[in-house]
Amino acid sequence: MKKRLGIISLFVLLFIAFITIWNFSYQQGLEEGYIPVEESTSKHYLPSEAGVFERSEYAVEYSNMPVDKNHQRLLKDYYKNRAYHGAPPSIPHPVKEMNLGENTCLQCHQNGGFVNKYDAYAPVTPHPEMINCRQCHVAQNSNTLFKPANLAQVKAPKVGVNNALIGTPPMIPHQIQMRENCLSCHAGPAAPKEIRVTHPERVNCRQCHVPTDRVVSDIAPFTRTKSDNNE
Amino acid sequence: MPIKSYLAHPKTGEKQTLINALSLLNGCEVIPATNQDVVVVVTETSDDASDVILKDKIEHIDSLKLLALVSGFNTPQN
Amino acid sequence: MYNSLSSRRNFIKKMAQLSAMTAAAAMFPGILFASEQEAGIPNSANLDWKKGPCRFCGVGCGILVGTENGKAVAVKGDPNCSVNKGLLCVKGYHQTMCIQSKDRLTHALVKKNGKYVKTPLNEALDIVANKMKSTIEAHGKDSVAMYTSGQSTIPEGYVASKLMKGAIGTNNLDCNARLCMASAVAGFLTTFGADEPMGCYEDIDHADYFITWGNNMAEMHPVLFSRMLEQKTRRGAKIIDFATRTSRSSTASDRSILFEPQTDLAVANAICYEIINNGWVNKSFVEKHCNFSKGLTNIGYGTEDKFNFKDKPEKIDFAAFKAFLNDYTPEKVEKYSKVSAKDIKYLASIYGDPNKKVVSYWCMGMNQHTRGTWMNNLVYNIHLLTGKISQPGNGPFSLTGQPSACGTAREVGTFTHKLPKGVVMNPKHRALAAKIWKVPVERIPAKPTYHATEMFRAVDRGDIKFIWTQVTNPLVSLPKTSRYRPAMEKDSCFVVVSDVFPTPTSDVADVILPASWHIEKSGLYGNSERRTQHWDKMVEGPGETTPDAWMTIEVAKRMGYGDLFPYSEENHVEEIYNEYRQFHEGAKHGMAPLEVLKKESGAIWPYVNGKSTQWRFNAKYDPACKEGSDFDFYGKPDGKAVIWQRPYEPAAESPDAEYPFWLNTGRVIEHWHTGSMTRRIPVLHKAMPEAYIEFHPDDAKALKIRDGENIKVTSRRGSCVLPASVNKRGLPTRGQVFVPFFDENMLINDVTLDAFCPISKEPDYKKCAVKVEKA
Repeated sequence: MKKRLGIISLFVLLFIAFITIWNFSYQQGLEEGYIPVEESTSKHYLPSEAGVFERSEYAVEYSNMPVDKNHQRLLKDYYKNRAYHGAPPSIPHPVKEMNLGENTCLQCHQNGGFVNKYDAYAPVTPHPEMINCRQCHVAQNSNTLFKPANLAQVKAPKVGVNNALIGTPPMIPHQIQMRENCLSCHAGPAAPKEIRVTHPERVNCRQCHVPTDRVVSDIAPFTRTKSDNNE
Repeated sequence: MPIKSYLAHPKTGEKQTLINALSLLNGCEVIPATNQDVVVVVTETSDDASDVILKDKIEHIDSLKLLALVSGFNTPQN
Repeated sequence: MYNSLSSRRNFIKKMAQLSAMTAAAAMFPGILFASEQEAGIPNSANLDWKKGPCRFCGVGCGILVGTENGKAVAVKGDPNCSVNKGLLCVKGYHQTMCIQSKDRLTHALVKKNGKYVKTPLNEALDIVANKMKSTIEAHGKDSVAMYTSGQSTIPEGYVASKLMKGAIGTNNLDCNARLCMASAVAGFLTTFGADEPMGCYEDIDHADYFITWGNNMAEMHPVLFSRMLEQKTRRGAKIIDFATRTSRSSTASDRSILFEPQTDLAVANAICYEIINNGWVNKSFVEKHCNFSKGLTNIGYGTEDKFNFKDKPEKIDFAAFKAFLNDYTPEKVEKYSKVSAKDIKYLASIYGDPNKKVVSYWCMGMNQHTRGTWMNNLVYNIHLLTGKISQPGNGPFSLTGQPSACGTAREVGTFTHKLPKGVVMNPKHRALAAKIWKVPVERIPAKPTYHATEMFRAVDRGDIKFIWTQVTNPLVSLPKTSRYRPAMEKDSCFVVVSDVFPTPTSDVADVILPASWHIEKSGLYGNSERRTQHWDKMVEGPGETTPDAWMTIEVAKRMGYGDLFPYSEENHVEEIYNEYRQFHEGAKHGMAPLEVLKKESGAIWPYVNGKSTQWRFNAKYDPACKEGSDFDFYGKPDGKAVIWQRPYEPAAESPDAEYPFWLNTGRVIEHWHTGSMTRRIPVLHKAMPEAYIEFHPDDAKALKIRDGENIKVTSRRGSCVLPASVNKRGLPTRGQVFVPFFDENMLINDVTLDAFCPISKEPDYKKCAVKVEKA
């Protein structure tokens, strides 16, 4: 009898415990999902325009570099593997599928250099901090089209016509988002011949060259209530 | 009407002087290289005689080290 | 753009040229011809190039303007000018483009029955002269005022001063340089007794370290910054940026150190503390060449009308100065400046290292400061304690923002207390001015009247009944324009505005006078390194545009002062300069003769025995120093510079619960000051079409503000709506927003506070409290 009572009370205890725990967890489950937000301490930020100085440590080397005439890129080739000016270039050489997101591409494209296999200088990326390269840059594996198309042609900016006055520094005719680092494309052996800068050592490019591609909506005139009638 | 083109090599460090001197001559067009010490000169004269005179003038510029003829054309006068 | 090969001849020529280029390419692989890169640029061989200084900032670059058929068509850097050595900035290259603007003021406009009527200039000048005369007759001399500029040429400033102080006899003359350079002047006078930097730009070629104090040189003094960068890449010189905002300069520097607004005072003292406690003081220099002084403290902020303050200097000794600095240990200062003690010690170690040459640069960050004079004194303290001054590559260097802030505002003296030499308070200086001007000495009043801010307060109160502004745009550039715009609109004051373009200031004018622009007149400027620069008229101005100096002279003649202004219209610049030179004769400030300035790209005063003086107060370079001395600070009677005891005091207005952000205002590389010129240059407008409000990315995130969203910024004085800029050109520190002031459509100065440094009377545009909300 005693033994049976003990067993029953044990089961009763277990049952009560089960009810309590189940109840508690049910109540918990009713509460809305909540992830505590911890205020992260401020990161070290740099303004995006800082890019202009990014490769400045190579500026003097750039200006002393001899020009390898036999392997110069032309602007026309530069645009060849871009769908339109400003589009990410596609990859004109075979690539391995592996190592996505690692520094495989950067091995050649961070600092450039001559690649025997392709008989060319590797172009330098203006944004080496973005390493998921193939998110935007894809290989060219076919020369055919799925269906023919009438692709709108966007005229790329021309060289030599971006000066406002005779002999003044040319303005920047292209947008510079992700291309803040001027020297990566305008200096060194991989820079297209026509846009290679003659004075890479100047570094502070945007002292003289400012962008002109900004879409400028008309500025509402200053409400010159009185003196505007200067006829 | 002879048109001729030359490569003019300046004496060391006198490229600018040479360019200045050349640009003063009539019938003489100057295209300096931006990264080498050499200047392209295109001459255009009305007849052979004045061409010889111009060439002589160019050759007497002090800052000139060497003048090399590259090409010559002659167009009939009309 | 390409020339069409219309004739066979051209074609052959092209062929000849190409074959030569090909031949050259075979000989020199990789050869470049400019024509390949500059195809399409018209030939510039036929241009007529004339030299002058740049119209814009105080760096004073030499420019060459190319003219063709009477029009300015090109600008390039003057390779013979030692300032810029052929380089300019984007503003400089395009400066002449503004004069062709369609809304150029070409004729005088006179307001009649609320409408502007085109009026012949002669009649307009009659109206101005008559009004000025009748106002003086009715309300006294001190009811008329002139407000000029650090962009006025030397002759313009000189005739303005002569008219007001010498002819009319009132000190109601001040200029916009009060808003930018007054603290620098007061700093120089209190420490050295002589205005303007002792060094010159050549310091850049010698220094090992450049320390910039609250100064974004990459955008504001770009050509000097380029020279610094060149030294950095070629020689390994280091640039250290000490600022409240991560700017273009910070990212190009070797080290960027950020501080909390206003605490630069404490950090500078902490640097002195470190220098003294580490035994880095140059003892023999300090003993021989320095005195110690202290002044009054808790000196106020001048936000109330008719504020008055006079400092009482008191001599102290080195021990007292050292004891005072015990409040400024790096560990104590770190707590409120947010500059780590390590960084303070780092800065001090640079100044303290006897083997390193250091130049300090600053401009508006230190000058537009309610303790601007103190801040200038404190940086001089650092250089004096270590003896790093007046030597090639060593020295403090105060930069200016306007092309002739030094040449005109400071040297000619278009401030209320100034005369071309000395101050109105000094009887000797008044006597000299009276002698050269040929006026009775009693006519020049001995008491200064209104400084810039107070002048416009007086307009608001109705005390000033006639004001003439020249070459300046106060209703965009004054602080607290929310008060001064309605003030200028009041009928109690007759407003004359001389300008090149319509501005918000000309909008409240009763008479608008059409001024000649820079190259449409001859003139002289003086830049930051004491270089006087001359230029000749290069093109004709449109319509009835006339040089400001000549309009002032014409008004003076009409008021009956013709005998004091015996200048000829075609030659007045030369005649005035030669008269003005008499004021500065001598080894301490001699100015170069005009013939020299016409030939050379400027000369640095003191110009003695045909030579510029590059480093003043150093006997090796400066012939004005006492014989047998090594250094002689001859501005002070005993030849000793003063090390000032100046404490940290808080800003006039700090962020609180209601207005939680600091507002900092400033400039951008594309635009110059109020933008009345640069916004009319298409290239610059396209690159920077409107102002913006810059946030720290963390603040933007907390407020859920996205880039480009319209934000309303409000202070106790007014508000302004601007698009947000997040993580683009610059980053203010957390809790701070930054707005450039060039945009007349977004008048941020409606929001700023008109508190000023009680000693220099220069307003603080860099610190006031605001709140921000989505508009």
